[in-house]
Amino acid sequence: MNPEFLTYPFLFIAIFFESFVLVTLLSEPARAARGRMRGSATPSVAIIVPCYNEEETVAATCDSLLALDYPKDKLEIILVDDGSTDATPSAMARYAHHPHVRVIRKENGGKHTALNAGIAATDAEFVGCLDADSFVESDALREIIPCFANERVAAATAAMSVHRPKNVVEHMQNAEYIFGITFRHAIASINGIYVTPGPFSFYRSSVIEELGGFRHGHQTEDMEMALRIQQAGYEIENAPHARVYTKAPRTIPKLIKQRTRWTSGFIRNVLGEYRSLILNRRQGALGMLVLPVALTAIVSGLLLFSLTLFEGVQSAVTAIEIRSGIPLSYAYALWPHGPFDWLYVPASFYLILGVVTVITSLFLIVIGKRLSKTPGSLALGLASYTLLYGFVAPLWLLRAAADVTLGKHRGWR
Amino acid sequence: MSLVTRNALIALAITVALAGTVAYAVSYLNRARVVELSAIEDQISIDTLSLDTQFSLLEAAPCDSAASSTTLTNELTDLGTRLSYAENQLGSDDSRVVRLKEQYSLLEIRDYLITKRLAAACGTKPVTVLYFYSNAGDCGDCDKAGYALSYLRNTYPALRVYSFDYNLDLGALKTLVAVEKVKDSLPAFVINGKHSYGFTSLADLEKQFPKGALATTSASHTGS
Repeated sequence: MNPEFLTYPFLFIAIFFESFVLVTLLSEPARAARGRMRGSATPSVAIIVPCYNEEETVAATCDSLLALDYPKDKLEIILVDDGSTDATPSAMARYAHHPHVRVIRKENGGKHTALNAGIAATDAEFVGCLDADSFVESDALREIIPCFANERVAAATAAMSVHRPKNVVEHMQNAEYIFGITFRHAIASINGIYVTPGPFSFYRSSVIEELGGFRHGHQTEDMEMALRIQQAGYEIENAPHARVYTKAPRTIPKLIKQRTRWTSGFIRNVLGEYRSLILNRRQGALGMLVLPVALTAIVSGLLLFSLTLFEGVQSAVTAIEIRSGIPLSYAYALWPHGPFDWLYVPASFYLILGVVTVITSLFLIVIGKRLSKTPGSLALGLASYTLLYGFVAPLWLLRAAADVTLGKHRGWR
Repeated sequence: MSLVTRNALIALAITVALAGTVAYAVSYLNRARVVELSAIEDQISIDTLSLDTQFSLLEAAPCDSAASSTTLTNELTDLGTRLSYAENQLGSDDSRVVRLKEQYSLLEIRDYLITKRLAAACGTKPVTVLYFYSNAGDCGDCDKAGYALSYLRNTYPALRVYSFDYNLDLGALKTLVAVEKVKDSLPAFVINGKHSYGFTSLADLEKQFPKGALATTSASHTGS
């Protein structure tokens, strides 16, 4: 049997899910969310900034929070130093004089403990989290608050992109994050969100209290909390115009390390404590569609990569073997022979469906940029995402799958 | 019906329609490629007739400067490339591919014969290579040898390379194998009548050519 046949179901699922996202984007709930106006309500809000060795970025993060367009008497900024060993405490201390900034120091215990320390220190109606390597637009909070108009909404996420991407790896992640804007916006309209990311996600304090605060969650406390909220029957909203920018890993090894943590955390949470959500009709789109497709995406990423690698290496070895010792033969092989003929284009079902999947992804990225009005050019992001992502992502999928299988746990950084 | 179910059904319909369109397009292209085989078949028939006619005409004026070569070399190469592509796509067992290969081999044999005859009559010294290969999996070096010959043919356009599938069940080819006394040790080369077997490297293959033949063939353009 041709090994390509194995990939057909996965390509079919990928196209189905992309179509589903597009159709959902056009549906009434998503349209209503896009048209949601900033309200006049200004409930009390606390934003917690958990820090561990963030001396370089914490000041800029604080500055962006201080510039938020929100009544100062309703806004509390809680900087939590989770036992940093660098100059983070002194960087934080420079903000302690602001009347609505509070600085908390504690022994290192992990991000979830820092968040819980911040939550314990406030009576605000809503608590938000902002990683100390992220920065917000001044109107972001005003975009978020209307998401909580419905009492069943326990959390709301923002529209993340990469802060001033410079190299190819950052541009690639920027495109991926913007894809996430479209994706989150669409699935939020059917309550399918399963992660409330560290950069500027907000929670209704009463629900956090009811559910019992953040947990370690296999180093993905934001995902664990989102799954717990969903399991409890609450909803998670998304504010596509609430722009937040985050620093992304600059090198492939750092990116792989970060994503291995995210992916292994996802697998451990979803196949562990939250296994009951999968294919659970009570969970609606999340249980019946989003989680099964997310798990399938991991398997298909590994399979497509293995197949491409296997076929690529096989044909490269054959090509090198056949061409060895023949002068200029590589250039000769690359040079087109004779007039171009469409008949000889190697158009297979696998190749065309693969191209359709990639083009649709790029289309979803462009939509994400437009609907969130994220500034900056996407050209390099789209190019690097197309050419690089498919080769890099399987590396962390492979590593995460191996870690989960072997029971291996890695450090945060 | 819930919104999620409705959207899922619409997405499913889009996916099925898309996959169906792609499947139809691929099948259409494959059908077009089969039609292309008929075009190759027609071309081979015309070329075969043309060579026969040329044979007859040259009886009268064997060494007319303008007619003292066949003009099929480039076309043979092009037909060979298309045939090889068709073989890759449809498989070497496909009956149409086998028939085309038989016709193509006949055309090659005719071109080889007319080239030899012209050389004898007019004193020209074309360099001809009869190359015998096998696709049956019993010739590990055939791919390398074929690639090396493609390289030589592209580098020295006047070189006349005739490739034959040794296992092809064709009377004329079997006669050629018998006449040229080619053993079943593949890949086999008959370079201007001299036999060699196996392929080690391009340099070794080049050594099998008559001294200066490659340089000469590149300088004197005999047939293409």
